[in-house]
Amino acid sequence: MIRRLFLKLSRRRRLQQDMETEFAFHREMAAAGGNPIPLGNTTFIQEQAFDVWRFNGVENLWRDLVYAVRGLRKSPGFVLTALLSLGLGIGVNTAMFSLAVEFLLSEPSVRDAKSLVYVRQGGNSHMLPPTIEALRHSGVFEDVAGENEESYINFNNGSETRRAFAVQATKNYFTALGVPVQQGRWWNETDANEVAVLHPHFWRTRLGGDPAIVGKTIRLDGRPYTVLGILPENYRSLIGYGYSPDVFVPQYIEGTILAAYARVKPGMTLGQLNAAMPAVGQRLDLEFPSQHELNKLIRATPVSGFARLEKEKDALTVSIFFLILLVIVGLVLLIACVNVAGLLLARASVRRREIAIRLALGASRARLLQQLLAESLLLSLAGAAIGLLLALGVAKAAAAIPLPIPMPIRLQIEPDWRVASYAALIAAFSAIACGLMPAWQSLKESISAGMHRERKLRIRRILVTAQIAVSFIVLTTAALFLQNLLRASSLGPGFDIRRTVRAEVNLPPGVYRDGRIINAYANRALEELRAIPGIESAAAARIVPFTDSTTFATDLTFPDNGPKQRAQFNWNAVTPDYFRAMDITLLKGRSFAAQDNGGSKVVIVNEEFARRYLGKREPVGATFLWTEDKAPYRIVGVAHATKNMTIGEDARAQLYEPLAQIKNDRPRLQFVIRSATPPAAQLAAIRQALRQVEPAAGLEVETMFSAIGFAFLPSQVGAALMGSIGVLGLLLAIIGLYGVLAYSVARRTREIGVRMAIGASPMDVSGMVLREFAQLLITGIAIGLAIALFVTRPLSMFFVPGLSASDPASFAAVIAILGLTGFLAALGPVRRALRVDPLQCLRYE
Amino acid sequence: MAKSTSPTLLQGTLDLLILHSLGRGPLHGYAIAQTIHLLSGEVLKVEEGSLYPALYRLELDGAISAAWGLSENNRKAKYYEITRRGRKLIAEQHETWDRLSTAVDRVLARQPR
Repeated sequence: MIRRLFLKLSRRRRLQQDMETEFAFHREMAAAGGNPIPLGNTTFIQEQAFDVWRFNGVENLWRDLVYAVRGLRKSPGFVLTALLSLGLGIGVNTAMFSLAVEFLLSEPSVRDAKSLVYVRQGGNSHMLPPTIEALRHSGVFEDVAGENEESYINFNNGSETRRAFAVQATKNYFTALGVPVQQGRWWNETDANEVAVLHPHFWRTRLGGDPAIVGKTIRLDGRPYTVLGILPENYRSLIGYGYSPDVFVPQYIEGTILAAYARVKPGMTLGQLNAAMPAVGQRLDLEFPSQHELNKLIRATPVSGFARLEKEKDALTVSIFFLILLVIVGLVLLIACVNVAGLLLARASVRRREIAIRLALGASRARLLQQLLAESLLLSLAGAAIGLLLALGVAKAAAAIPLPIPMPIRLQIEPDWRVASYAALIAAFSAIACGLMPAWQSLKESISAGMHRERKLRIRRILVTAQIAVSFIVLTTAALFLQNLLRASSLGPGFDIRRTVRAEVNLPPGVYRDGRIINAYANRALEELRAIPGIESAAAARIVPFTDSTTFATDLTFPDNGPKQRAQFNWNAVTPDYFRAMDITLLKGRSFAAQDNGGSKVVIVNEEFARRYLGKREPVGATFLWTEDKAPYRIVGVAHATKNMTIGEDARAQLYEPLAQIKNDRPRLQFVIRSATPPAAQLAAIRQALRQVEPAAGLEVETMFSAIGFAFLPSQVGAALMGSIGVLGLLLAIIGLYGVLAYSVARRTREIGVRMAIGASPMDVSGMVLREFAQLLITGIAIGLAIALFVTRPLSMFFVPGLSASDPASFAAVIAILGLTGFLAALGPVRRALRVDPLQCLRYE
Repeated sequence: MAKSTSPTLLQGTLDLLILHSLGRGPLHGYAIAQTIHLLSGEVLKVEEGSLYPALYRLELDGAISAAWGLSENNRKAKYYEITRRGRKLIAEQHETWDRLSTAVDRVLARQPR
C-alpha cells in the first residue's frame, strides 16, 4: 500500500513524458515491422494507463472543489449568509469545547504528566511532610514531592502589604516534577529556604514586569526572598481548573500539610502501583503508628486527563455542566445547518438543468453527489475557519473576564490539536448535515421534474418545524437558567451584605505564634475599628461564610440521650458581636459574652443543628461531649441559619464557638464590620485602622457585597452562557422561519394575485400567510415542548432548591418569546403578499 | 468485432502471458507483444491498447519493474523485468489457467444430454 503510494508520488511528474517516449518507440518499432498505425487511439490508451497511476478520488475531489469555488463566487449573498450561520454555529461549539478542554482536561506544566500521580493517604487530600519523606524512601516511587497550593503569604512592595497566593513546596519539587521556567531557574535541594519562583502574572502586576528581577530580593512575610525564576506564561498548575498561584516558595510554615505528587517508576502501571500500596501503608504504620487508620488506604490517581476527573467528586458536576453546554451549542449548530440546507435547497433548483444534462451524458450519481457535496464541504470548511478564529477570540475574552472569586483563576486558552480536530470534525458533520439532503434532493428532482416544487416546500417546512422545536429546547434551557439566577438572587445568604465590610488579615506567622497573641491582636483591632465614626459594630471570626468553610464530621454524645451520634456541621469561631455585625437573628437564648473564654465551653447552634441532633428537646441549656473531650459543651443560643458555601445549598447544621474559647493559633483572621453609612466609603478608614495595629499584616478589605459576589457566580455564569446561546439559537431559527415564509409567498405570488383579482380582501391574503406561519410555529413548539419536558430534567441538579426543571413560568415565557419573534419574522412575508399586484400577475399569465 | 481468425484473449490471461514472456529476461513493450505473437504460433495478437495499461498495472502491483535502457537499434526504450513477486504470481496464475483449460476441455469433450 505504502509502496504503491510512494511509486505514484515519485513517478507523478515524469509519467506523461515517459509514456510518450515509450509509445513513440513502440510506433517506430512497429513501423519498422510493417505496421504504420499500431497503437490506435493513443490518447485513450494513455488515459487508461494513466488512470491506474492516478489518485482518482483525490483529484476528482480537487476538481469538484475548484468548481464549487467558481459556483459560489457567483452568489456572494448566499455565501455570506451561509458562512455567517456556519461560522457562528461552529464558532460557539469550538469555543465551548476549548473552554471545556482547558478547564477539565488541561495537562499540568510538568515533565511527562502521564507518569505523575497524586497520592492520598486515607482519603485525605494532604499529608504531613514526614509522611511524604517516608513515601520518598519507600522505594516504590521514583520520587515524591509535596505542595500546599493554598497558602497565603504577605507581600510587601515597599509601600503596602497585600496577600499573595503562595504554593509551599518541598525542596525536591522541581527535580521530581520538572516544572519549566521562563526565566532564571528553580530551586534545588542545596538552595536556601528564602528563595522564590514567581508566576508571570504576579511579576507583571505586582513587580511591574521588572526585566532584571531574577536575583533580586522581594519581601514575603517580612523576610527577604531571592527571586530565582519566573514561570512560563502558559503555566498550568497541578490542581488544574485554571488555578494560578502568585509565588512558589519552599515550605516555610512548619507542619504545613502537603498534597503529595509522585513520579512513577518507568514501566510501572497505575494498577501495579496501587497493588503495591498496602505494603507501603504497612511500612508507614511502623514509622507513624498514630496514622494507622489513614495508612490502610493509600491510593494513587492520575494528575491529568479523564482519569483524573473520574476520581474527583466535584469534577462530575462541572463535567456534566460542560457536557450540557456542548449539547446545547450542538443544537444551535444544528439550527444553523438547517438554515444553510434551506438555502442550498433553493439553490439546487437553479442547477436542475445542469444536473439533468450531466446525468443524461452518463455521469454517475455518486460522482454528482460528490460534486454537490463539495459545495457544502467548502462552505463548512470556510465556516470552520471563521468559527475557529471566532472561537479563540470568544474563549480568550471569556477566560480573561476577571472572576469575582477569592482565588486566582486564569485559564490559558490556546489552540491545540484537540480544538482543531474538534472544529474539523464538526465542520465535516455540518457539511453532511446541511449538504446531503439538498444534494440528494436535486438529484431526484432532475429525474422526476414534475412534482419537485411541492416536495421541496414540504421538506423546507419540515426543516423549519424541526428548527423551531430545537430552538424551543435551547431557549427553555436558557430560560430555566435565568429563572435560577432570579431565584438565587432572591434567596439571600442569610446575613446582611449591604451594610457590612469583610476584612481579611494575614498576620506574619513568625511573630503571631499562639492564640494568646492572636486574640490580643484581635481585641486591639476591634477597638480601633469600633472607634471609626459611623461603625456600628465589629467582630472577628475564623470564617466568613462563602469565603471559606470548615466542616466537622464527628461523634457527639448527649448525656441525656444515651449513645453517641454521628454529626456533621459547619463550624465557625466568632467574637460576641458577630451576630449583631452580620445581622443574624438569635432565635433563642443569648449571644456569646466576654466571659466565654474557655472556662466552661459554650456554643451557639442553628435550628437545623437542633432539629437534627436534639429532636424535640429544648436546645438552650443542652450539653454534649465532643469526641474525646472530657468537658461538656453547653448550647447557650440558637441562631438563624446562614448559607455556607453556595446560595443553592441545602440546609446544613451550624455550630459557633467563641473565638476566645478555641486554640486560635492560625495567623489568619477575618473581621466583619457593620457600618451605618454606605460601607464602600468606609474601606479606606478600615484599612487604615487595621494597618495601624499591625503594619506587617497582609490586608484584604472589601465590602461584603463584593466579597461574596462569587456565590452568585455559578448561577450568573449559567444564565449568561445559556442566555447568550439561547439568543443565538433563536436568531438562527427566526432567520430560517423567515426564509421559508418568504419562499412560500414568492412561490404563491400568482395564486395570491388571482385570489385578489377574484375579490380576496387583504385580510384574507394576510390570513393565508399567517395561517401557514401559525401551523409551522405551533407544530414546532408542540414537538419542542414534548421533548424539552424530558431532556431538561437533569438540569435540576444545577438549580436552587424549589426550582423544578419543568418550571411552568419558564416554559410559558419561551412560548411567548418564540411566538412573538416568530410573528415579527412573519410580518415581512405578509407585507410582500399584500403588495402583490393582481393585474401584473394576470398579465404575466 | 473480434475476427474469427485471431481469437481475443480471455480476461486475465494477458497478465500471465506477459509475465511468462519476461521469464527469460527483460524486454521492452514492443518485444513483449512480439514474443507473445511468435510463441503463440502467430495466433495471438496482443492489442497495444490492452498491453500498456496491463504493463502499468503490473508495475504498480510490483510484479514487474521497469527501467530505461538502450534497444538493439540503439534507441532509448523502457525495459520490463519480472520481480520475485512476479514469479510467484506466474506460478499461481499458471495453476489457475491449468484448472480453467482442463475444465473447458472436459466440458467440450462431452455431449450435453
